[in-house]
Amino acid sequence: MVTVRSLIQLSSISRTPSWQRRDNGLTIRMILSFAILALLFVVFLSVLAYVGLGIIPITIIASLMVLAQWYFSDKIVLWMSRAKVVTRDQFPKLHDIVERIVARNNLPKPKIAVIDTNMPNAFATGKSKKSSIVAVTTGLMDTLDDPEELESVIAHELTHIRNRDAVVLTLVSLLPTVAWYLVQFGFYGGLYGGMGYGRDRNNGGVMIIVIVVAVLVFVISFLIVRAISRYREFSADRGAAQMTGKPVKLANALMKISGSMRRVPTKDLRQVEGLNAFFIIPAISGSTIGNLFSTHPPTEKRVQKLMEMEASMS
Amino acid sequence: MRFFGKFIKKNYDPKTDSDVLFSLSSAYLTLESKMGLKNSGRCALSLKSISGMYFNEMKDDIKRFLDISKTDFELTYRTVTDSYGYLWIVLEGKRMEDLLAGISAVGDTVDEKGFSNQLLAAIFEFTNDRNKKQYLIYNYKRNSFYPFVPVDGGQKTRNTEEEIKMMATIGDEVPLEKDMTLWYPLWDLPL
Repeated sequence: MVTVRSLIQLSSISRTPSWQRRDNGLTIRMILSFAILALLFVVFLSVLAYVGLGIIPITIIASLMVLAQWYFSDKIVLWMSRAKVVTRDQFPKLHDIVERIVARNNLPKPKIAVIDTNMPNAFATGKSKKSSIVAVTTGLMDTLDDPEELESVIAHELTHIRNRDAVVLTLVSLLPTVAWYLVQFGFYGGLYGGMGYGRDRNNGGVMIIVIVVAVLVFVISFLIVRAISRYREFSADRGAAQMTGKPVKLANALMKISGSMRRVPTKDLRQVEGLNAFFIIPAISGSTIGNLFSTHPPTEKRVQKLMEMEASMS
Repeated sequence: MRFFGKFIKKNYDPKTDSDVLFSLSSAYLTLESKMGLKNSGRCALSLKSISGMYFNEMKDDIKRFLDISKTDFELTYRTVTDSYGYLWIVLEGKRMEDLLAGISAVGDTVDEKGFSNQLLAAIFEFTNDRNKKQYLIYNYKRNSFYPFVPVDGGQKTRNTEEEIKMMATIGDEVPLEKDMTLWYPLWDLPL
């Protein structure tokens, strides 16, 4: 339920084989924690429903749980990612970079946190502009040797904060869960409400319809949430490019981080020509479907949009 | 439809498309005004050498053509065969229009003689304000351009940032190779 806006999709890194030697601990930890939290939430509410609580008490309890998560969100995120808030003395350069951008763009300075891992990534979280946190990994600082690239990445995160993306996406991501329960309760209420007693009655057909509709609603709203998330990423890229005035730096950073930089070949054209590399018909890749489910747009798309910005600026 | 279009196109024998090549006749000005990249006056066409009478005949035809058109195009040329066994026809001339016309005519000759499958690439050289070389490579098989900026020092590394900049600058003027995994470099160019 707690949303962080990372620079690139956490799971996308582990898919790249060249990164497998790297520390994937952060990825696994974050995804597991989110999954467990979400699962607990759903299981708990289901148990309540099973026990026979009405829709109103369950709604109240669910809201309380969401509120609690909301209230503690920054602490939960820091704890899950093992990010440590750092002072100016510990990371003077990082503080410098952040201060320069926030000063130029009239934003409050966020707390700065560092995660000790080789995996290059960054995220922003926070309930309000003032209480927000920008976290970067040590891997990110190592990977981006150009300070302007690091600046672009931080600008991307600051745009998430400015756009209140953590808030928007936390609220929006409740949509599938809410939709799920509304459908279930709606059906139960409509079907059994008037008949007096319900659950003992054997009515398999209706149950199946309820489940199918609930699943459909869940899946559709889930996809919508993901689409919104991808759109917010593009916005954050655009915002970052406007803040720094150098879209190409963010494009470069994204390519370095995602490993695309390595995909630009160094093998000579004359060597590969004999292999007929250009005649291979690309299979419909899983990524086309996968893109619908991902929270971040593919790096190539983001780089392309940034390049279009670069072109229109120069 | 776009998907099927791609599908069909790739199965057909690729033809050299001079429209795509000639899109550079305005794009090179954009490179100069926006990035300060100047046309160095050199370009080259590369094709896989094969032994045989017909190939040699074609070579002679190209040479004869370039000798005759020297006055029209204001081009000089030389041929090089590299260690990969590729024949390079290197053209030098002051004006981009002449270079493009020359490259296009050579490409057409190769095509007419039935050797279009041997065509590898056409390369256009640019120099930046620090006199470093940057290239645009036209891939005949893909009928599109991509940038190539080698880093000095024989390390076989490339400056992707500059490449992206080039691509961004002329992206809407010339057809560019969108798939960066196909941006194969050409090291040690005999230009």
